[in-house]
Amino acid sequence: MDARNQILERLRKLLGRPDLRFPPPETEPLRPGEHLAITQAQGDRWELAQRFLAELRALHGDGELVETPAEARLAAIARLTAWVEEERAIRHTEPDTSMPGERDVLSWAPQELPVEGLAPALEDLGFRLVVPQDLHRPDERDTLRPIRAGLTGVDAAFASTGSMLLGSGPGRSRVASLTPYRHLALVPLSRLYPNVETWLREQREAGTLEAVLRQGSQTVLVTGPSKSADIEGNLTLGVHGPKLVYAILFDDIHALIQEG
Amino acid sequence: MPVDIHAPFPERVQQALADPHLHTAIHRAMERMAVARTRALAATDAATMRAQMRRMKAHVLRHLPQYLETLERNLEDNGAVVHWARDAQEARTLIREIALQNGVQTAVKSKSMVTEEIHLNEALEEVGIRVVETDLGEYIIQLAGEPPSHIVAPVIHRRLEDISQIFQEKLGAGPTYDPGEMTSIARAQLRQDFFQADMGISGVNFAIAETGTVCIVTNEGNGRMVTSLPPIYVAVMGIEKIVPTVEDAFLQLQALCRSATGQAFSVYFSMTSGPRRPEHPDGPEQFHVVLLDNGRTQMLERGYGEALMCVRCGACLNVCPVYAQIGGHAYGSTYSGPIGAVITPAMASDLRETRELPHASSLCGACREACPVQIDLPRLLLDLRAELAHRGLEPRPEAWGIRAFMETMRSRARYEQAGKLARVATRLLARLSGGTLRTLPPPLNGWTQYRDFPPFASKSFREWWQEREALRGRESD
Ligand code: SF4
Repeated sequence: MDARNQILERLRKLLGRPDLRFPPPETEPLRPGEHLAITQAQGDRWELAQRFLAELRALHGDGELVETPAEARLAAIARLTAWVEEERAIRHTEPDTSMPGERDVLSWAPQELPVEGLAPALEDLGFRLVVPQDLHRPDERDTLRPIRAGLTGVDAAFASTGSMLLGSGPGRSRVASLTPYRHLALVPLSRLYPNVETWLREQREAGTLEAVLRQGSQTVLVTGPSKSADIEGNLTLGVHGPKLVYAILFDDIHALIQEG
Repeated sequence: MPVDIHAPFPERVQQALADPHLHTAIHRAMERMAVARTRALAATDAATMRAQMRRMKAHVLRHLPQYLETLERNLEDNGAVVHWARDAQEARTLIREIALQNGVQTAVKSKSMVTEEIHLNEALEEVGIRVVETDLGEYIIQLAGEPPSHIVAPVIHRRLEDISQIFQEKLGAGPTYDPGEMTSIARAQLRQDFFQADMGISGVNFAIAETGTVCIVTNEGNGRMVTSLPPIYVAVMGIEKIVPTVEDAFLQLQALCRSATGQAFSVYFSMTSGPRRPEHPDGPEQFHVVLLDNGRTQMLERGYGEALMCVRCGACLNVCPVYAQIGGHAYGSTYSGPIGAVITPAMASDLRETRELPHASSLCGACREACPVQIDLPRLLLDLRAELAHRGLEPRPEAWGIRAFMETMRSRARYEQAGKLARVATRLLARLSGGTLRTLPPPLNGWTQYRDFPPFASKSFREWWQEREALRGRESD
């Protein structure tokens, strides 16, 4: 018998034995909706946004809340520009000496970013958005490896823990939020939930939960910057993933209502 | 002197007890982890969380064959290749085959106990494949040529000073005690490997049956690299590591993180549902999942099925007074601490080799209280002792002293009383006899007939714990 069938056979036989010490004969599964909400957050969307930022900051991340998509565009530009300056300081070069590639941003495709007009505005300012098409091409790997800033949207964000859920798929590379030293995430308030359990319930009821996980080959939940405590419990940031995680939260709900 | 993991159990215990640096490292780490865990659990309805976890895990075990088939079907629908392995040998062979068929030269790994369990690295290295551990802690012990000593914190037994030394010797790093600087060195080194590797290998924290999704929990991001950058990704999982639904996955994730490190969520939680699709920019071209038995069905058969609900959070290690004294390497097995003392013999084909492990416990019950699935570890240890006795497999004679040592820790009252006395007495005596003790009063003299006895730490774990708790109470006032 092959390994598969032998393992399954043996398990079936064992579980059929009345004298088996564990598991008990009758067990109840947890039904969706029954699960404990392990963290909680209350309030309107502004309060949830503040809570998200507080949680993210406690984890050594950072961010800001602005009112409109237009302000989010300005905030993103300002942040990326400031990062170019900070990188120059890290390299110990003269403040206005530029370096090739210093305005490269590893990004999701413009149509996947939740802030309209951001991509062209950045291009106008001399930034180059690098959007991976096929990472298994050696030239693409070489291009994206040195890039120090990543730009993405989110599928959902959770206020009670300062977490962001990022899917992958066409135009949404996994590496944009992973390989750069700094990650800038655009978080529309329409995607901000009090906690993960609220999001799970909404997706389950809408019948979309399974599809969310299965259509992207990988979905990640990101809670703060990369860290380790392996060197005798000393907190170190940016071990493999980004050392800086910055979220720009903006109200798209007001805009949605006006459009609608 | 590090513990020689190939020495017999009593000798390993002796070496561990005699290593002052080991104590420093472990005590510092246990303090941190226990405090973080207690805080995290106080912040939620821990009792309900545990009860739900236990219910969910018991249900999975009861219906394991069905859930395995559902998982397999969904993984295959997602484009994964599913393999089954009865034992370590089978798993090693099939992973080596995948590597050889694809001409793999370098494999990057994220931290995984199950690949330690099957000794995968050696099997790949034998055929000339370079295997790189990428978790910072694992990377450090790979440099030092040691196995992990804790399920969650593999390099817990090394102090900052030791790690600095390892970096200087193995990587030619300058002398530095700055953890940030050491981390940067590792980041740069490993970045090369992530981009060059032909294969990524990880364990699996759990897999979701209803969606065919393999989940891994990391803080550093190496798990994401390993599952995203190389063209081939191989995930190895024990057959028991299944959750039925996505909701169950998030329950287990949170129970695991709170119990392991005190975090609400790990920094990264990667859910992989398949290989890269043609229109996707990144992700592996091939995605293999290995479902491993290796003694797990035997564990169920012999009555230790309860331990198959373990989520490998390490909380039972962090509260264990015996682990505090001897550290992970003294157990001499992949899995250490109370859970290791149960599953190592329960999974082993030959009980003889691990017969002392069920005695490496004082049965104080702290592990059961800490466990997020409420696994009754003390009872399982007693069952194992009974089985060993029944089979005429008592511990080897030289291990009787250890039994006496555990004996004194058995009841808390006796432990505390004996411990306090012992600490005062051994310190006094040690000062007179120049470091270690040659004889101890009964019942501990069984041990000192064979061994020198190191002085007890000046504070017991329980005393220290209560002080911490008192402090904590004050802080939150
Ligand atoms: S036995 Fe319980 S406490 Fe110990 S590692 Fe497993 S789940 Fe954690």
